[in-house]
Amino acid sequence: MGSRLHLGLLLTIAIGCGQASEPPPSSVAAEQPAPAGVLTIGSVSLNPTHEYEVVRPFVDFIAANLHHVGIGRGEVVVVSSLSHMIEELREGRVDLFIDSPFPAVFVWQHTDVEPILRRWKRRSDVYRSVVFTRADSGVESVVDLAGRIIAFGEPFSTSGFLMPKAALASAGLRMVNYEDPAASIPGDRVGYVFSNDAENTMFWVLKQKVVAGAVNADYFEALAGDRISELRILLTTDAVPRNVVCARRGLDPKVVQAIEDLLLEMHLNDEGRASLEKFEETTRFDRFPGGSDQDLAHILTLLPHVQEDLGQ
Amino acid sequence: MRLGLKGRLVVFVSAFIITFGVVLTALSVRAQNERLRHELEDRGKLLTTVIAANTTDALAMLEVRELRNIISEARDQENVLDAVAFDEEGRVLTDGTVVNPRRHMLISEAAFRHASGSKSLLVEFDADAMTVTKPLHLGGQVLGGVRLRYSLSGLAEDQASLARRTATVGAIFALLGVLAAALLAEAVTRPLNEVIQATRALSEGKPVPRLAVRTADEVGELAEAFNEMTRKLRDTTVSRDYLDRVLETMGECLVVTGPDGTITRVNSAVCNLSGVGEDELLGQNCRDLFRAPHGHVSLLDALGPDGSAQGLETELLARGGEAVPVMISVGAMEENVGRNRSYVVAAADISERLRHEQQKDEFVTMVHHEVRAPLTAVRGAIGLLEGGVAGELGERGQELVKIALRNSERMGRLVNDILASRKLDSGRMEFHFEKVEMMPLIEQAIDSTSAYAATHKVRFELQEGVPGAMVRVDPDRMMQVLTNVLSNAVRFSPIDDVVTVQASRSDRMLRVAVSDAGPGIPEDFRDHVFEAFARGEHEDWRHRSGTGLGMSISKGIIEELGGTITFETELGAGTTFLIDIPESV
Repeated sequence: MGSRLHLGLLLTIAIGCGQASEPPPSSVAAEQPAPAGVLTIGSVSLNPTHEYEVVRPFVDFIAANLHHVGIGRGEVVVVSSLSHMIEELREGRVDLFIDSPFPAVFVWQHTDVEPILRRWKRRSDVYRSVVFTRADSGVESVVDLAGRIIAFGEPFSTSGFLMPKAALASAGLRMVNYEDPAASIPGDRVGYVFSNDAENTMFWVLKQKVVAGAVNADYFEALAGDRISELRILLTTDAVPRNVVCARRGLDPKVVQAIEDLLLEMHLNDEGRASLEKFEETTRFDRFPGGSDQDLAHILTLLPHVQEDLGQ
Repeated sequence: MRLGLKGRLVVFVSAFIITFGVVLTALSVRAQNERLRHELEDRGKLLTTVIAANTTDALAMLEVRELRNIISEARDQENVLDAVAFDEEGRVLTDGTVVNPRRHMLISEAAFRHASGSKSLLVEFDADAMTVTKPLHLGGQVLGGVRLRYSLSGLAEDQASLARRTATVGAIFALLGVLAAALLAEAVTRPLNEVIQATRALSEGKPVPRLAVRTADEVGELAEAFNEMTRKLRDTTVSRDYLDRVLETMGECLVVTGPDGTITRVNSAVCNLSGVGEDELLGQNCRDLFRAPHGHVSLLDALGPDGSAQGLETELLARGGEAVPVMISVGAMEENVGRNRSYVVAAADISERLRHEQQKDEFVTMVHHEVRAPLTAVRGAIGLLEGGVAGELGERGQELVKIALRNSERMGRLVNDILASRKLDSGRMEFHFEKVEMMPLIEQAIDSTSAYAATHKVRFELQEGVPGAMVRVDPDRMMQVLTNVLSNAVRFSPIDDVVTVQASRSDRMLRVAVSDAGPGIPEDFRDHVFEAFARGEHEDWRHRSGTGLGMSISKGIIEELGGTITFETELGAGTTFLIDIPESV
């Protein structure tokens, strides 16, 4: 599954929004001629159509509320890889990039963007990952994973892959990707396979298809259910922001400010909440409590362990 | 309200059809419900089997996400309430949702037991749903399975809809059934109503139309039978009218009575003879109309055991106290054997006949006194003349005296025969029975007739006898008969011929046969031989017949003596008279 990011195929969909789509919900937009400015949100996905359908209402809402700063319509650009997104940002074809912390920090590290806000999803501002095993597996700590196979979720999942892998790697374990869960693993490395689903991961551990697995800590108890007693948590990662909003540095500061102001207050009104809800169950936006540099510093330290995974 | 045949037919047939329809509808609904249930079950089994087949690889690989997608699609299928995939321990892997609240929960114990030991489908029903469990095995090991729960509400709706449609169809058929029942009732009762109307018309004496025979069934037979009945009734009516006319026309009185003699019918002759109207006579007892016959207390008392009587002489009591002599014959009619016996009394007015009888008696008395006595005196005087008391007669005188004597004797015989015949008719002839030997009587008769025979140059020949045979008769009357028969034979015998006399015995009967060789009795006269004054049509025959009373008298006497007289004759060959008389021992 991880091969999806190795395709090198760049899918770029730039779809006009605003005037060409449904009328924006803003009354201001209806009364005044739309400005010529365009705000473009970029997204990375292997399912561009679905992604466009998710993002488009959101960018429409934003654009409709930025007429006062010259933004008349919104656009969505969906690409298939972070490298392509970096290029789009670098070329100025994408103004805003919203993603999980690892991809966001990766992009931040490779082009001229600024993390401006945190994005809450499903009422969570941060999340963690847990690495778990069966209580009767004989694995007492992450060190015991050497020579064994661990299951991660999807290759682009922060909580299901990037974060736990980075945590294990930072603990000194050599993480090597395998295709076969039954593969023989040398004792100096920890093999990992992608289950591509948190439930898969849970059942693979419970059914001893793999010795351990990693899932979002928020879902661990639900996934374990009444069999939680049969499991042992080996590692819980540090909390990281749920999502990060990055703005292209070349974007007009007035526009950036207006975007921040708008996003920070969206959850305060019905129209804003409705738009947030449609945008992948976004709860709200806020500023980094400790500042973006501090709050993302931990990810920066882990980033080298997953640099290769993100860059592909 | 009382229903007529038509109403009852409609109600009965309708009730039958509706009941039949309800039962049929119920059975149909039940059968179709079963069919729908089986269809749902089959669909459920098929879908579950398909889902199970699709999940096998994912289950084997423990690809729960794939399972979730498949189960999620299964949940989107029609009527599917719920679907889960479960593992070899019977624990839910996925219910098709991301949340998957039943994750790790055990499916039903029964389903798990089934899945552990069988590869077949398990179908379970409860009030609202049908659950189909399909175990999945791989390489002899249990992988788990899928379990889909199907809503029965659709089935219930389909069943309800089906029941409504069936009930609607049933109601339509019930209505059609009622309509058919009404038409059937109309078809059945219409001919009956026609019969009823025709019967009423018949009873009211109105013209009865011929009923149409539309069908060859029982109703048609009824119409035909009615037509036949009316035809016969019409014929009977005509016959009764004819009989009535006959009864009214006949001169004899006719009275019909009940068992107790109550008069129920009379003809006009009764009214005419009695002078009493029919209305007055009806209801009277016949004893008020007829005097009891002699020796009986009433007319009915005079009847025989069979309720009949013939020739009873009595009197009809007419208005004003007049009694009309009548001769009555009574016949009994029984509508039921031994019961309801009716009597038909036929009475003939015999007053005219009695008057004639009286006139005959007066004539005979007159003959006896005014003819016989003078004739005796004449014969005596002629005898004196023949004896020469008045002087010697010349040859011519003697010849004339003989003629006078012969004719006076002949006239005397005629008078005697007339008197004897009358006595026999009136029953006043006296008989003095005594037991005598038969042969001497025969011989004596032959002797006494021989002179007469000699005058006809005929002789008697007694060819056979029964010596010592005794009879109980009046000898004089027996002699009278024998001499009558013998003289009759003489008269019809040719000259110089022989009249043979034979006496024989058979079964205690004595027979005397007197045969002549005369011309025989003409065929057209044979039935009148023993009638009074019967002498035949031919001149020669009349000349030989004498007074014409002899054979009539002989028959009357011999019957009084307890015997019979008959004859055997052949034209041109002669006649034999046979006298049979009981032998007395």
